[in-house]
Amino acid sequence: MSSVLEAREIGKSFGPVEVLRGIPLALQAGEVHAVIGENGAGKSTLMRILSGHLQPSAGSLAMDGQPLVFTGPVDAEKRGIVLVHQEILLAPDLTIAQNLFLGREMRRGLFVDDAAMNRIAAAKMAELGARLDPRMPVRELSIAQRQLVQIARALLAPHRVVIFDEPTATLSGVEAEALFLAIHQLKAKGVAVLYISHRLPEVKAIADRVTVLRDGRHVTTRDMAELDPAGMARLMVGRDMANLYPPRTPAPVAEPVLEARDIAVPGYVETASFALQKGEILGFAGLIGAGRTELFEAIVGLRPHRGEVRLEGRPVAFRDAARSMAAGIVYLSEDRKGKGLLLQQDLRVNLTLAALSRFARSGLVAESQEWAELDKAIAGFDIRARRKEMLAGQLSGGNQQKLLLAKMMLLEPRIVIIDEPTRGIDIGTKEQIYRFIAELAAQGRSIVVISSEMPELIGLCHRVIVMRAGRIAGEVTGDDIAEDPIMFLATGVHEEEVAEMAAGAP
Amino acid sequence: MKHTMLKSLAIAGLAVGLAGAAHAQEKKNVTIAVSIPAATHGWTGGAVYHAEEAAKRLQQTHPGLKVIVKTSPDGASQANALDDLMAQKIDALVVLPFNSDELTNPVREVKKRGTFITVVDRGLKDASIQDIYVAGNNPEFGRVAGKYFADTLKQGNVVVLRGIPTVIDDERVTNFEKALEGSGVKVIDKQYANWNRDDAFRVMQDYLSKHPKIDAVWASDDDMALGVLEAIRQAKREDIKFVLGGAGMKEMVKRVMDGDKMIPVNVSYPPALVATAMNVTAAHFYGNAPARGTYVLNAELITKDNAKNYYFPDSPF
Amino acid sequence: MTENAATTSPVPERRRFAFDLKAASPFIALAALILLGAVVNPDFLTVSNLTNVVTRSAFIAIIAVGATFVIASGGLDLSVGSMAAFTAGLMILTLNKLGGAETSTLLMAMGVALMVAAACGLFNGLVVTVGKIEPFIVTLGTMGIFRSLVIFLAAGGTITLRDSGMREMYRPLYFGSVMGIPIPVIAILLVAGLGALLLYKTPFGRHVVAVGSNEDVARYSGVPVSRVRLLTYVIQGICVGIAVLIYVPRLGSATPTTGLLWELQAITAVVIGGTALRGGVGRIWGTVAGAVILELVANIMVFSNFVSEYLVGAVQGSIIIIAMLVQRSLQRAR
Repeated sequence: MSSVLEAREIGKSFGPVEVLRGIPLALQAGEVHAVIGENGAGKSTLMRILSGHLQPSAGSLAMDGQPLVFTGPVDAEKRGIVLVHQEILLAPDLTIAQNLFLGREMRRGLFVDDAAMNRIAAAKMAELGARLDPRMPVRELSIAQRQLVQIARALLAPHRVVIFDEPTATLSGVEAEALFLAIHQLKAKGVAVLYISHRLPEVKAIADRVTVLRDGRHVTTRDMAELDPAGMARLMVGRDMANLYPPRTPAPVAEPVLEARDIAVPGYVETASFALQKGEILGFAGLIGAGRTELFEAIVGLRPHRGEVRLEGRPVAFRDAARSMAAGIVYLSEDRKGKGLLLQQDLRVNLTLAALSRFARSGLVAESQEWAELDKAIAGFDIRARRKEMLAGQLSGGNQQKLLLAKMMLLEPRIVIIDEPTRGIDIGTKEQIYRFIAELAAQGRSIVVISSEMPELIGLCHRVIVMRAGRIAGEVTGDDIAEDPIMFLATGVHEEEVAEMAAGAP
Repeated sequence: MKHTMLKSLAIAGLAVGLAGAAHAQEKKNVTIAVSIPAATHGWTGGAVYHAEEAAKRLQQTHPGLKVIVKTSPDGASQANALDDLMAQKIDALVVLPFNSDELTNPVREVKKRGTFITVVDRGLKDASIQDIYVAGNNPEFGRVAGKYFADTLKQGNVVVLRGIPTVIDDERVTNFEKALEGSGVKVIDKQYANWNRDDAFRVMQDYLSKHPKIDAVWASDDDMALGVLEAIRQAKREDIKFVLGGAGMKEMVKRVMDGDKMIPVNVSYPPALVATAMNVTAAHFYGNAPARGTYVLNAELITKDNAKNYYFPDSPF
Repeated sequence: MTENAATTSPVPERRRFAFDLKAASPFIALAALILLGAVVNPDFLTVSNLTNVVTRSAFIAIIAVGATFVIASGGLDLSVGSMAAFTAGLMILTLNKLGGAETSTLLMAMGVALMVAAACGLFNGLVVTVGKIEPFIVTLGTMGIFRSLVIFLAAGGTITLRDSGMREMYRPLYFGSVMGIPIPVIAILLVAGLGALLLYKTPFGRHVVAVGSNEDVARYSGVPVSRVRLLTYVIQGICVGIAVLIYVPRLGSATPTTGLLWELQAITAVVIGGTALRGGVGRIWGTVAGAVILELVANIMVFSNFVSEYLVGAVQGSIIIIAMLVQRSLQRAR
């Protein structure tokens, strides 16, 4: 039987740099085919070629056995291939329904038929498990909800092949579960699904076959039954990945460096009090919308708030990020692209932005020193950049996170707050980031890790504080740090239901 | 000012009973509204000045007379201003419209209320609306200038700076060229300089680079003439015999009076015609006979001999 | 997303002398225009004409250098033309008030001009940052305010420098030259040089670009966003002040039409120069080239004998659009 969509020895080069070489991939109707690989392995490039966004430099594509060339993404879409992008590509001021139907509005006579579009939009969103008012502007949605809108939009077009590029990177367990249900329905209708993800347990649960890429080459394509998550990780990295997390160190003695008392952030956090110890890795767990991000943005001076913050016993109140940085606290945003890095500027400008005053020599920026610092950061943080002048937006997600880390570490902070440190990042880079966080703690710095990835909180933290609906729901320490108690605190729901809800998540 | 008015009326060839001291004692309540463009150019600036001066003087002469002067920055605001004025129960309106098309209907509305209408400078589309029309003579403005060039130069090359593309500018330039016909004087270049000093400087600099021999310049406006003179001075060109502006700006009239070689003459187009219109309108109410008809203030050649009649040191223009 | 190749070395090489076509394209457009001018009329290509053109572009060029800062930081200033007229008016009134033809008088009036313009910029900046109002609206408002203040000061007429001694003393600042280079051209080079230093080499300049690139990222990186924005408007004001210093000696007067539409010309120069209107990129030298291009197009129009004066505006507009198209296609061809 011929494949719906087939890549025949696809290769791609950007200038002198070869990014893909000789990749075979055959998609069958009614299968879920996963593509896995580290950041920089070539997954995204392959997706872009399959969806017509890029032309291959070598090899060819075929649909139903017939060779063809896509003139562009519109052509590919016309032939039934839709790509669900990893980045959110929606118009924030339009409503959910308007976004869903953007460019293909339903009409009644001369006018758009808002009633019908709202009705269909609400139904489509409900299929994905999101009960949202279709008249809500996208601006008011969480990142996870926006991702669902994006998926609904892609599925609105007639499709034979649907390509998901890390769809669950921003979704919580419940939301991801609804997406998996939708994927099962697609499969049942005979649609071919190509699925890219870093979350190996989720790949194991959903895929029928898996293709592994490493360094732009095809490693293997196997039936899912033959592999478990550990085996996939081994194939991706090319070595054993048993020790994803650095060895656990004993919890440090109580010596509070940062204390927060009765912090309230209007609209997000009702009240929260906690203390961070010297040399501690403190995890913050909770569902999306629990107020974790807002709590820490408030503490570093990025949001108006009430309550008291003490730094090494002295009360402090930061009016902006510059002041908290000067006091030795840095916050790395979960929104790397929107709040962390200047995507249109080069690596050097990004690296030195927060610590720029350190590079000033008699009023001028010492560029040679900046370049030297970039060299150090590239080596020290293992940032994989094709050219030093490249823009931050051209880096892959993992390398962007490393650059953001390098940028904030230039400030030599005593307290590091990392929000979703490994969102959208492959397993090899994850390991590097975990090791780095552990090193920081070993140096006597204090770390806060805000994460929706339960395993990393469990594997990394000395203590985990759980937030629910704008309040601190509780805290787990030492050997008690495990999935069940955290989920229970986060949701307030009985453990069995939690297990059911979390089934799809890693 | 009274002097100017007398003179203007004589030019117009109309004898109107003068509103003079004889009738000043008679107390009669009359409100005259004056709507003119805001001062965005030397000439309109002068118009505002003369309107305000005339308002002061008229109110002194006629107790009971109220004059409201209202300026507007563009045609649409002028139409709005007319609405506002109507609400104040006016007996007469003196209007210098921004442009004929836009303001014909708003003025018609005012007329329907039985208001006496005097139109200044730019005529309305429908001439039946206006009771009095006081205008400068644009074709004459161009013709007088052209005749001076033809008579003085006999032959040679002339460059022209035009104003803003409007009927006024067109009438002036067409008649200027007509007046040159048959003489040896040739217009070798003409460009718009928007009645603006800076633009005139720029265009003149370019003329000087482009044309090796220029005998005289028709700047067609005193503001533009100032820019032209500065460009000539910079280029140190000796071939240009004179520059003719127009409209009777006080600095230029002064130079004519002082016998400046580069500015031998000027052509009048007095901004005071608003004042004339106000005087005539007041005369309609306080004079012996009702005033009606068209008053044309001719464009006249201002020479060294008659310049002092056109010199108003206190006017901003 | 761009992927890394297997062969990526840990520390990649930096291309030191990469030819930046994007930055060069306004100059290529400029060269093309000069060529066009030479074809249109051989008299175009004389030293005196080209000198005139560059000298005349000084006001817009200097103001546009300031606009480059404002636009690169994601702002906009529509008030520069009115601000220039207002400043010029106040400067001349100061000179008239002080009277005489002393150097000290002139210096004092120059100081007044620079301070007035900087204060106007500060006012714009404060309303934008403290009032948190769209710069388009704020500067549209101040555009009207400054303009009517000039009309008020001039009582509708013209503000003229009365003292002829002062006029003669001040005149060389526009018409004079040093070693054959007109003083306004030297002023362009100085202002642009300082602007480039400030924008490209100082922490402040880096902050300007960061704020224009993404305000949130700048805020999260500890950049004092409001102060940076405020300062860009002050810089714009100072540039307007400098432009006025060389504008006044040219005609010795300010009228209600002084500086009319300069704001549009300045913004056009900035955009032709390659600065993005949405912010995040600032190209000082490109801006200067843009200002010269604008002046050059008008100059070529006068020199061409076959364009009717009625159509000058259309041809001018077309040339600017074509120049931008050529630039963009050059950039894409890479």
